Amino acid sequence: MLQMTGITKTYPTPQGPLKVLDDVDLQLAAGESLALMGESGSGKSTLLHLAAGLDLPDEGSVHLGGQRLSALNETKRAALRRDQLGLVFQQFHLVPSLSVRDNLTLQARFAGREDDDWTRHLLTRLGLDDFAARYPEQLSGGQQQRLAIGRALAPKPRLLLADEPTGNLDEAAAAQVLDLLQALIDESGCALLMVTHSAQVAAPMQRHLVLKRGKLMDRSL
Amino acid sequence: MSTATPSVLRTTLATLLSHYRRHPGQLAMLLLGLWVASALWSGVQAINASARESYDRAESLFSADLDRITRRDGATLTLDDYRDLRRAGLPVSPIIEGELSLSDGESLMLIGIEPLSLPGGAPLAQQNGDADALGNWLIPPYRVRVAPDTLEKARALENLPPFEIAPDLPPATLVTDIAVAARLLDMDRRITRLVIAPERDVELPAAFVRTSPDTLASPGQLADSFHLNLTAMGLLALVVGLFIVHAALGLALEQRLGLLRTLRALGVPGRTLILALGLELLLMGLLGALLGIVSGVILAQLLLPDVAATLDSLYDTTVSNTLNLPWYYWLGGLAITLGGLFSAGASMLWRASRINVLGLGQAQAWRGRLRGQLRVQLLFGGALLAGAGFLWWYLASTAGRQDLALGFTLVALLLLGAALCLPPLLAGLLGLLARYLPRRAALLQWGVADLQLQLPQLSLAMMALLLALSANLGVGSMVGGFRLTFLDWLDQRLLADLYVRPAAEQFEDLESWLNERSEVATLLPARNTEAELIMDDKNAGAVALFGIAPKPILQETWPLLETRNGHEAAWQALTSGAAFINEQLARRQGLGPGDSLQLQGPSGLVTLSVAAVYPDYGNPRGEITLPVSRLATEFKAPSGTLGVVLAPTGDRVQTLSRLQEAMSERFNLAEENPSGGSLIDQQALKQVATEVFERTFAITRALNALTLGVAGLALLTTLLAQAEARRAQLAPLWALGVSRGRLVKLQIGQLVMACLGTALLAIPLGLLLTGALVAVINVAAFGWRLPLHIFPGQIAMTVTLAVVVAILAALIPAWRLRRVPPRQLLQEFAAA
Amino acid sequence: MKRLLSISLLIVALVVMGWQLWPKESTAPTSYAGLGEGDDNFPQAKPGTMLNFPEDHGPHPDFRIEWWYLTGNLVAEDGRRFGVQWTLFRQAMAPPDLQQKTSDETPWASRQLWMAHAALSTPEDHLFSERFARGGVGQAGVKTTPFEAWIDNWSLRALGKDDSAGENDGSGFDHLLVTASGKEFGYRLTLDAEGPLVRHGTQGFSQKSADGQGSMYYSQPFFRVEGEVRVAGEPIAVTGRAWLDREWSSQLLGPTQSGWDWFSLHLDSGAKLMAFRLRGGDESGNENEDGSYLSGSWITPQGNITPLKPEDLNLMPLEYQTVAGREIPTRWRVQVPAHDLDVEVRARHPNQWMGTSFPYWEGMVTVSGSNEGEGYLEMTGYAGE
Repeated sequence: MLQMTGITKTYPTPQGPLKVLDDVDLQLAAGESLALMGESGSGKSTLLHLAAGLDLPDEGSVHLGGQRLSALNETKRAALRRDQLGLVFQQFHLVPSLSVRDNLTLQARFAGREDDDWTRHLLTRLGLDDFAARYPEQLSGGQQQRLAIGRALAPKPRLLLADEPTGNLDEAAAAQVLDLLQALIDESGCALLMVTHSAQVAAPMQRHLVLKRGKLMDRSL
Repeated sequence: MSTATPSVLRTTLATLLSHYRRHPGQLAMLLLGLWVASALWSGVQAINASARESYDRAESLFSADLDRITRRDGATLTLDDYRDLRRAGLPVSPIIEGELSLSDGESLMLIGIEPLSLPGGAPLAQQNGDADALGNWLIPPYRVRVAPDTLEKARALENLPPFEIAPDLPPATLVTDIAVAARLLDMDRRITRLVIAPERDVELPAAFVRTSPDTLASPGQLADSFHLNLTAMGLLALVVGLFIVHAALGLALEQRLGLLRTLRALGVPGRTLILALGLELLLMGLLGALLGIVSGVILAQLLLPDVAATLDSLYDTTVSNTLNLPWYYWLGGLAITLGGLFSAGASMLWRASRINVLGLGQAQAWRGRLRGQLRVQLLFGGALLAGAGFLWWYLASTAGRQDLALGFTLVALLLLGAALCLPPLLAGLLGLLARYLPRRAALLQWGVADLQLQLPQLSLAMMALLLALSANLGVGSMVGGFRLTFLDWLDQRLLADLYVRPAAEQFEDLESWLNERSEVATLLPARNTEAELIMDDKNAGAVALFGIAPKPILQETWPLLETRNGHEAAWQALTSGAAFINEQLARRQGLGPGDSLQLQGPSGLVTLSVAAVYPDYGNPRGEITLPVSRLATEFKAPSGTLGVVLAPTGDRVQTLSRLQEAMSERFNLAEENPSGGSLIDQQALKQVATEVFERTFAITRALNALTLGVAGLALLTTLLAQAEARRAQLAPLWALGVSRGRLVKLQIGQLVMACLGTALLAIPLGLLLTGALVAVINVAAFGWRLPLHIFPGQIAMTVTLAVVVAILAALIPAWRLRRVPPRQLLQEFAAA
Repeated sequence: MKRLLSISLLIVALVVMGWQLWPKESTAPTSYAGLGEGDDNFPQAKPGTMLNFPEDHGPHPDFRIEWWYLTGNLVAEDGRRFGVQWTLFRQAMAPPDLQQKTSDETPWASRQLWMAHAALSTPEDHLFSERFARGGVGQAGVKTTPFEAWIDNWSLRALGKDDSAGENDGSGFDHLLVTASGKEFGYRLTLDAEGPLVRHGTQGFSQKSADGQGSMYYSQPFFRVEGEVRVAGEPIAVTGRAWLDREWSSQLLGPTQSGWDWFSLHLDSGAKLMAFRLRGGDESGNENEDGSYLSGSWITPQGNITPLKPEDLNLMPLEYQTVAGREIPTRWRVQVPAHDLDVEVRARHPNQWMGTSFPYWEGMVTVSGSNEGEGYLEMTGYAGE
């Protein structure tokens, strides 16, 4: 599903170039779940962005669904993203001017895969049945994050990339969201790459990797 | 797999537009900006297009100008003159014209022609049907030709022949056979004039004078100046309106930056996003332009009668009172509005195309960017101002004719440069203020610092305000100065209490009769004629000749701009053979006191030396003034007017009316009588002149006021659009214990500060503008220069106006801040 | 006042250009220059009407159309041949019952329209000019004692007493001076009648179609000419002979007649021939096979006239040439068997086209064959391409 080999990424900073990722290899098979852990600034988010094709590595290659991302232009990468990926962000990034239902189906509509049954199912599973006509600002933080997850899963992606999906939530809400995420992943059979700094959040994942100063290392619990 | 399917574009567009559903205020502001910008612009353009259409109709007639033939002694021409000249083989044609009054006080020009003799090809040259049409024209019930826009008025007249529609006729004009015109105007055997084709080079009997039509000032060129003036005002309004649009678009983008990034992350290609934004712009543009054009047309309809009246009285051009808009007007209006919108939206699109997807949720580095931006603005604005300075120097150093377009370029450079410099100057002002503010005034200090932060959002509205204020100031001073000068000049020139224009044969009788009256102190005879001006052995066209009686009372008051050796010497010179010339002629021909010029008169070449230059406001033509006796003898000028100066008397009005009565009884004079004699009271004359003047600037003032209104609107909408974001910034202050009342005051204070600063900068700019208007634009447009007057009261008024605008604009957001429940402030505080 | 001036200038110019834009509201008459239009309210020329002079030299305002038509064949001292034409047309724009002036009408109101053509044919060229005037203002008109017909500075007028061989009726019609000028040409000629007036048809009623309508028509074909023509400023002394036609009618052509070919020939024998062919018309009656109506007058040197009936006369086009975009017959065979006349009539040059408002061909011709001679030919109603 996702192959990243020999990834190196350097950012210019006022203090000189900073190597955020240094020769990183990462593979994720279809249906597999993986937690990517590490401290702040360890390069987790960068790796996720590269996996999503939002950015390109300086060295190394990223293959998504069998396609080499650096060989695609921006438009094709965008198409690949809306077709194959689901993205969940720490800050939700819901569209404030769209209703809950419209937010939920937004990416599915981009991908041309809007499915009413699935949408209804998702709304129920996310506990947002009664809120479908509301706007994001009228939801609680946990509800907003569940909506963000729902939006990512609505087009039935083959890979879900989640960046600290519970970072903005309190513990109870976080646990609830995580359970839901896990359950939905299981239901849809989609692979999951989750960036988190919390071991607790990472626990249910099948595989765990830790990034430390740009290097990737295995870590078993 | 397709890359950017229509569904992606559609969904993207819908998502982008949903923003306005949640923020209808922003949509309203955007549309408002577009609306006012295009309304004022298209209003002005509607006036111009309509007038242009009238001119085209008129000019299509001018293109076949005919020479005029009149009697040298000024007597009325008759049918017998026509017959005798024809039988002598001269291809002349008679014209009868006059005005038919309508019940509403307006009048239509009735022109009677004799189609069989009228030059320009044989009237019967068209076979078949046209011969019949000619027959219809020549025999009862006859026909009268009228343009469609005059038809309705014409219908109100009785006794008119059946109408024939002639779209190419100028407005307010009826053309019919001379037989009909003679009957309707009660002319019997009299005719107004004879015409002859210019190319017919024939010998005229000595009793007749031939005048070529190009000796009349071309109204086209002068009217062009007027329209350029209007266009400039419209352009100013457009720019000010586009400032609002720009501000609104910038805000809408700012608030949707996150959304744009999210959409990109969700797989919308950058190009699709830009396309969607472009489509959104187009949609808004079409809507705004439509609204604008419709209201522009309404505006034009309101202003057009004034414009038409002005053009009529100033330049002798007839402009239809009803709008006649050609197709290209609508297209042009749409194009300008959309063009303006896209120029305002280009920066938004450019910024949107460069957003960093990875910047999701990243804060903006405002300060650094702002400082850089201010520096660039200052540099650019400075360059424009330097350009303006250079242009001014260039225009001042080139004597003679000046280019109106260059003059307007100067004004545009001046305004734009100043507008660009405004934000950096304001920032500098605030910086100074912050440095010298007492440290204890923490809230005040915060206010100043916060205002500095707000500058980028406010600057566009402030620039619009600066433009409007300085234009207001500049045009106001110009008009005010003009009024002072003009009224003064009227008083000096209209010296006599009564002006009598007797019929030629009565002239001498009347003169001696008046001389014997005890209530008459002095008689000031005057005559008019024209002659060809010869410059450098070339014919420089016809100039007007004006004959005056250089009596002491006239010498005392007649204004002179330039003389060689002083006032008295100039008058001395005039009586001993020199001439005065008006400012228009002096500028056009580059003449001054001491220069000499040559005139081709009826009795040969006359060389004159220029003794003085005098101001001649409101006259489009070059004019030479000579003693009236010379005009009569050397230039065969027909008998003209007699100015009657009353002897000092207790009751001027009564004396005047007694004299008028006696004169009317004795000489059958009336306001306007068929024998050609007339009587005009000086008061009435002044009133007419003042009315013409007032009308001329009515439109300028109206547009000016509208522009200021638009600028105020720009400020208000900017503030409204930012109100929410501002609340989030104010919430922490509220949390720190500043009451909402004080917050409101703080906000109003900030804005008043900004507007006051802007107004203070607008004062020198307005004065510069006034200078450019009176010294450059006026000279180029009208041919005379005005003294620069400064009106402190008006400046104070402008500053006050700025403060009032600021308070008004701040009031609504402030009022809303007061009404926000504490819970919401708390929420906004948490969100911040 | 200033305003009045400039506006009227516009307008005047407008009208000048505006005739082209003249609304076309009326239907076009079917016949040439409207001459075939009938109007019951106009009096008709009738047989049995007696001509009275000098009154009939003057205008007949009740009739629709009338002309004073002079053509002359001239020769200069160096042998160059010139032709002159001087024509004054009068047209009533309304029938007599509508010609009464109402009380508030001005001197400009008139139902009479005057038009004049002057032409000078040189050996190579053809110069012409036209004038228009309304009646009532004195710009154009005709009076009888002494005779004068004029428009602007063109005139045909009595020079003095009647002292020539013509009829002494006090009008001076026998001794005339004709003047006209146009662009690049002019002439001033004295005319002396060497014979009497001749009345065509029946005592001056000349039938113009088989169904009986016609005109009052008389001529003075015996003018001897002396004077001067001017071409491009050069004065040339000339002598020659001229023919004056007078005709009035209210319906000259039949409704379907399209035009005419008109001959006025001076034969060297001293005889004169007037002959015309009105083209078109209905097929019935005793007209030619092509529907034309033929008529003419044989005038002896003494001025005795023999009307020629259609069958007495043969007019045959022999050759056409393209003139002003039209096919115009410029060589004819003219036969009058009863007078042993069989001649070829040939235009001196084809370019004698009158490009006036109502255009037609009018020019000098030569006569050869059984008789030699010269004369004038007028051809109207030939349609352009």
